[in-house]
Amino acid sequence: MIPVRAIQGAARRRLPFLVPAALVAAVGLALCGQGLWIPAKAALAQVLLERAFARSVATGRPVKPWPWADTWPVARITFPRLHHSVVVLDGASGQALAFGPGHVAGTPDAGDRGTAVYAAHRDTHFALLGQVRPGDEIEVARIDGRHVRFRMVAAQVVRWDASGVDPHAPGRALALATCWPLDAKTHGPLRYLVWARPTL
Amino acid sequence: MPASDVGAPRGPSRPRVIALAALALHRGAAGLMLVLAVLAALVFCQKSFAAEPGDVTSGALLMRARDAKTGGGDQVIEAVRLGTDIDMTVSGLTVRTRVTQAFRNDTGHWVEAVYVYPLPDDGGVDTLKMVVGDKVIVGEIKKKAEAQAIYDAAKAQGRKAALVEQGRPNMFTNSVANVGPGETVLVQIEYQAPVAVSAGDYSLRVPLVVAPRYTSPGAPTAPDAMAPIVDPRVHGKINPVTIIVHLRAGFPLAGVSSATHALDVRDERGGKRITLAKGEVPADRDFVLTWRAAPLAAPAVGLFHEKVAGEDYVLAQLTPPIAARATAPAPRDIVFVIDNSGSMGGESMQQAKASLDYGLAHLKPGDRFNVVRFDDTVTVLYPGTVPADAAHLAKAQKYVAGLDADGGTEMIPAMAAALQDDHAGETGRVRQVVFLTDGAIGDEQGLFDTIGANRGRSRVFMVGIGSAPNTYLMSRAAELGRGTFTHIGSTDAVEEAMRQLFDKLESPVATNLTAVFEGTDADLAPAALPDLYRGEPITVAARVGAMKGALRISGMIDGKPWETRISLKDAEAGKGISKLWARRKVTDAEVARSLAQISEEEADARVLKLGLDHQLVTSQTSLVAVDKTPSRPAGAPLARADLPLNLPAGWDFDVLFGGARHPSADGQAEADADQQIAGLDLPQTATDGPMLVMVGLGLLVLGGLLGAGGWVLSDRRRTA
Repeated sequence: MIPVRAIQGAARRRLPFLVPAALVAAVGLALCGQGLWIPAKAALAQVLLERAFARSVATGRPVKPWPWADTWPVARITFPRLHHSVVVLDGASGQALAFGPGHVAGTPDAGDRGTAVYAAHRDTHFALLGQVRPGDEIEVARIDGRHVRFRMVAAQVVRWDASGVDPHAPGRALALATCWPLDAKTHGPLRYLVWARPTL
Repeated sequence: MPASDVGAPRGPSRPRVIALAALALHRGAAGLMLVLAVLAALVFCQKSFAAEPGDVTSGALLMRARDAKTGGGDQVIEAVRLGTDIDMTVSGLTVRTRVTQAFRNDTGHWVEAVYVYPLPDDGGVDTLKMVVGDKVIVGEIKKKAEAQAIYDAAKAQGRKAALVEQGRPNMFTNSVANVGPGETVLVQIEYQAPVAVSAGDYSLRVPLVVAPRYTSPGAPTAPDAMAPIVDPRVHGKINPVTIIVHLRAGFPLAGVSSATHALDVRDERGGKRITLAKGEVPADRDFVLTWRAAPLAAPAVGLFHEKVAGEDYVLAQLTPPIAARATAPAPRDIVFVIDNSGSMGGESMQQAKASLDYGLAHLKPGDRFNVVRFDDTVTVLYPGTVPADAAHLAKAQKYVAGLDADGGTEMIPAMAAALQDDHAGETGRVRQVVFLTDGAIGDEQGLFDTIGANRGRSRVFMVGIGSAPNTYLMSRAAELGRGTFTHIGSTDAVEEAMRQLFDKLESPVATNLTAVFEGTDADLAPAALPDLYRGEPITVAARVGAMKGALRISGMIDGKPWETRISLKDAEAGKGISKLWARRKVTDAEVARSLAQISEEEADARVLKLGLDHQLVTSQTSLVAVDKTPSRPAGAPLARADLPLNLPAGWDFDVLFGGARHPSADGQAEADADQQIAGLDLPQTATDGPMLVMVGLGLLVLGGLLGAGGWVLSDRRRTA
């Protein structure tokens, strides 16, 4: 039988290790949870957005996905070959991008004159952008009921502040943007741009 | 979420992690590893990249060609710009500018050229001439849809045609159909604009910045359609600008200067002739020219007259005698409103907080203040305005520091709360509302109505935050609130912009300004005069029934009544006043439309009539050029005498049209990094998710190791 004092002694000696260990583990767990919550939130939001998008198309006017939202669905982008579609939100603020791709302010809607630009996070909604190949179809359904089909023509890597994208350029181009490199873990100045043209 | 949060485990827990690290270091190697992990996490913190809006800042010609071989869509390529000549004539308060630019279609295709040109905000384009190869095309003002139809028909028939349309109020698009391979296009537009006056300085600005290069989306798939790449080393030679200004200021000059370019100023009949000291310069920055009146010669009043088509037009300008404030400004009531909705997330929120901090720090004893924050809810910090003492300020600063961007943007209740005046009867104090937002709301009309109905004695100063604030909303709201609109684009600019705003807030102001013509009927533009700050002039344009009687301007300066009269007999001859007047009437109609004072149809009709009567490009009218001049026999060279345009001085026509010289024939290389021109800025598109998970897992492993190590260590000690 171990004496009571011995147990207390061992516990006291272990305490300086176990308390920090527990704390470090707790912080680690919290960070993991926070990190995993980001893709979970992104996926969950799309379900609500899908509903709001359907209502927007039916009513013909923007519908907020939840009452306190600061943005609303403006289009749905579909990649038929990859069997994937996402609902796009108005504006590309950090807040909007957490829930879905954003339609960059100051650019036209897809299919209108100019270059329409949509941006999304490389690790959530546009994680598959690297798999889109030249020739792939990209469909954009707008809330006004219009469907525009595009075909990917090129991809390029640019700096965020030297993209060369002119929203008022002639033609009706579509540009999808996400961060580059696609599998990096930190933020950086480079962006991956997928260019598409309307199919005639 | 700003990137600086990456890896730093949530604010409050950070000190604990560091303390823990110190403890562990004392104990052994595991501690060292932990410190390394924390350091590594901090190293990964990066500055977030705020997006700035991209904009066309100069004329750029794009060539569009159908690519028949691949059956693909439009190929867009930029034409090389060969040269620009700018000829300006300043007559008193107006400036007439003629911009001539020559471009060449260097592709092997017949193309449609699209030309985008930015102009000063009040500029009105009225003339377009174009020489395409051997065709001279003169533009005519038509109804927008009609002009488009004429252009489309000509384009389909393979005839040459040109079309000038207004996009945004200060942005024009010029399209030219059917430009042949190797042809040179000479574009000449003319516009009328007012001279800017501020604190006795007269100035004009010409946007000249090198055009953004459009990176053709399809370039890799259609190499033959690629634009020749301009070598930056010879860029200056192929993109030269010459500028000549004929300055007839109407008063003795004290000095003419340019903050942007070295000048050569000579006397000529009736004024000064100003050219660039270097002759030609690369188009790499805007040209700004500033002139001042000789001391005591500064006109208190400027009055100009023009007779067009039997109608008399006058332009009057005078600077109200607002004296500099000798004593400390009277105490004020200031309400700060800060938008902490989701769209303000990141950089914008930092800017807004920094701006508000500046505002709070610069309140004076005796001032009263309050703070309102809103997303889809509204919080008013104090029940009413409170004295700006240390205790109230400290609480407000702490409150602002704790704000996070989240939720929707319901601006109207916040504006209503800010305008609610608990000292409404007090006339001795100025009441100012400083409203910090990005303006990302849909119901603009509702906000305008709220300001119009509740403004009382308050003035509303809108501060636009972030990369792309809704400037339309902001400037209208400020106009309605009789304040000003300030734009803060980056965190670095907060200090300077807020300092300027506070100077204005503290300066005396001329209010309730009205202009009335006595002795003749008159149609004034603008219909209502805005409040003026020190050094800002009143400018009134009017169509009058007869050139007799007087113009009476009255108002309140710093609370005291002020009035002045100008006799119309004293008017000097001016140029382009009718067009300026029409341009202002167009703006008035657009304002009335946005305030729903007149219906859409009514506004369209007014703008259309003004555009047609005064030959201006507006939202309802376009310039379309029909192929009037008969085609030259094929192969016959175009002689200089056939050209109805004034070729800019110093240009060698034969070089321009003779072919041969093409500076970038060897430039078919891929664009390299330093040639990539800005364009639209792209948002940050990486989440902190993977990083958080990585750091989290790392910490979990460390925790495990630390625990296990401690267990073993203590066991060993016990046995020892």
